[in-house]
Amino acid sequence: MPPADTSLAANAPSGAEGARRAPLPSPTAAPPPTPDPPLLLFEQVSKWYGTVLALNQVTLELTGGITGLVGANGAGKSTLLRMANGQLKPTLGRVTIRGLDAWDWRARRRVGYCPDLDAFYEDLSGRQFVWTLARLCGYTRAEATERTERVLERVGMRERANRTLRGYSKGMRQRIKLAQALLHDPELLILDEPLSGIDPIGRQELLELFQQLASQGKCLLISSHELEALEKLTNHVAIMARGRIAAVGTLRQIRDLLEDYPLSVRIDVDQPRELARAVLALAEVQAVSLASGDTPGLVVQARHPKRFFQAFGRLVVEQHVEVHRVEPLDESAHAILGYLLGGSGRT
Amino acid sequence: MTNQPPNTDTMPAQTDTLLRYRPWRGTPHGPLFATLAMARVSLRLLLRRRLMWGLFALGLLVFFFFFYAQYLMVWIETQLRTETVRFAGVPVTIDNLTRFLKRLALDGSVHTFGNFIWFQGYVLVIALALAGSVLVGNDFYYGSLPFYLAKPIGRWHYILGKCLAIGGLMTLLVTFPAILLWIEAGLLYDWKSYYFDNFDLLVGIVGYSLVLLVTLSLLVVATAVWLRRTVPLVLVWMGVFVYPQLLSTLLVDGLNFPDEWRLIDLWNNLYLCGLWCLQADPATIRPPGQPEFWQAGLVVAGVCAASLLYLRRRVQAVEIVT
Repeated sequence: MPPADTSLAANAPSGAEGARRAPLPSPTAAPPPTPDPPLLLFEQVSKWYGTVLALNQVTLELTGGITGLVGANGAGKSTLLRMANGQLKPTLGRVTIRGLDAWDWRARRRVGYCPDLDAFYEDLSGRQFVWTLARLCGYTRAEATERTERVLERVGMRERANRTLRGYSKGMRQRIKLAQALLHDPELLILDEPLSGIDPIGRQELLELFQQLASQGKCLLISSHELEALEKLTNHVAIMARGRIAAVGTLRQIRDLLEDYPLSVRIDVDQPRELARAVLALAEVQAVSLASGDTPGLVVQARHPKRFFQAFGRLVVEQHVEVHRVEPLDESAHAILGYLLGGSGRT
Repeated sequence: MTNQPPNTDTMPAQTDTLLRYRPWRGTPHGPLFATLAMARVSLRLLLRRRLMWGLFALGLLVFFFFFYAQYLMVWIETQLRTETVRFAGVPVTIDNLTRFLKRLALDGSVHTFGNFIWFQGYVLVIALALAGSVLVGNDFYYGSLPFYLAKPIGRWHYILGKCLAIGGLMTLLVTFPAILLWIEAGLLYDWKSYYFDNFDLLVGIVGYSLVLLVTLSLLVVATAVWLRRTVPLVLVWMGVFVYPQLLSTLLVDGLNFPDEWRLIDLWNNLYLCGLWCLQADPATIRPPGQPEFWQAGLVVAGVCAASLLYLRRRVQAVEIVT
């Protein structure tokens, strides 16, 4: 898993505001090193389609690692991705890539985009298609050929690249789309449903590729409905609902912020009734029930998970309880989405 | 989110290793270079259509007709000037026999090239009416535009690339054959004096082609962005080039309306602009009773400006909404 250290930057004050507060440097002092602008920055971005508000004052900053973008249909994920890639212009606010307006073509030198559409020129072969897009990136003929072969090999399409796109399966189309996004070695990869239609073995290969890219300093923003696959890839997500970023951070961080929903924890022990009695005395615990199934244990519902685990740890040490297993039951992306979006959390 | 990537200034680009790129120290070319790539792939897509090859064959027929007819005229005038030939048993003078060919002015003069481009232009207009959807319309209709615009090019570079593709098609169909006719004419007459004396014709051919290129490419891209599909495009194309021509002929030649009514015929206006480039004498233009060159130029400029304004409006708003 790539590092996904995260301070929640959604709705954070803008860099410009910070700059205004900075003291003036003295004339003799060496100028402080200027930090790089964020790789991707949304500043109070709103987008209307006619009377429909697709994005509502979104502020988001990405600098590296893998970020999953999840949300229900119509939540604004694709709009956000297209804005990040300069395909859409915000109605209000600003989207920048390393300080350049995302709408500017120069910004797209740093961005690779794999759209969810697969409307290709069906008469071209996969190789010709990728090669043409390499030329659009500004590479010479030789360099375009070289890069085309390398990315085709990387996505496992080198042997099949001479077939026309018309004859490709859904999975092969996904790989070709991914290949063209990798051509110019972008800092930021924006992938819209990249795993859709890919078989399990291919999916594993692509997940490994994404992890390798992230571990080497690339920033990946991946929109997907496949939460299980996304959880294998990263635990760092941005959750969208009704055009807003509902939450951003690791799943654990987001879960901790959901104080209205007590955390359910299953604890497997030999004497669950005795432990239940002791656990109920803890202030953070709301309810306890005996777990069903072959293994004896109990399910605890606790507020303030961090404080609960500290108190539970002390309890275990003081009472010499032999705990076989502790498992949070609703820390998955599904459960968190369910809490945030209402309903089952299905996307 | 602030998970900081490693400092890439001091580290090799490790993704290169991952993707097994060989080290490349070059700088990618700018978007103008990319427009050439776009023009190439657009032309390649166009030439995959059999219909296009059929139209090329038709264009080739027109070219060969002018090519051999020009040769024939010279041969007849030098070999059979004073003779008569028997046609269906009737003696016919050479002047009568070549009357039709003389109407085409197949003598390496201004009107040779004006007429050639006029006729070849019909093939070109048909080709462009059919090419509009392949070149531009499909990008909008099927949603393949994100692949282009996700690369480091701007919206205007996309338009320029498509116009260049149309320019390539036009060069193949019109400019290049017209230049071949000019070379042939020089070889048929005294080549030293012809090439030197008529160099301005070569410049005029290029100028005429440029007028066609700018006007037609802007018009094709604008109509294709607007209509996207082949059938509506062909209908609008006919509305621009066929019906106004019939109407203007009817009004001016049939009902004796003022000559300015010919200005509704865009193809005639382009022809007049081309003849201005070729420095033709207005009195020699057929059919007689034509508007002034500047009037035709004004209409053509107006069409270009309207197309550009429309494209500007659309390009600024090109947002990939699916």
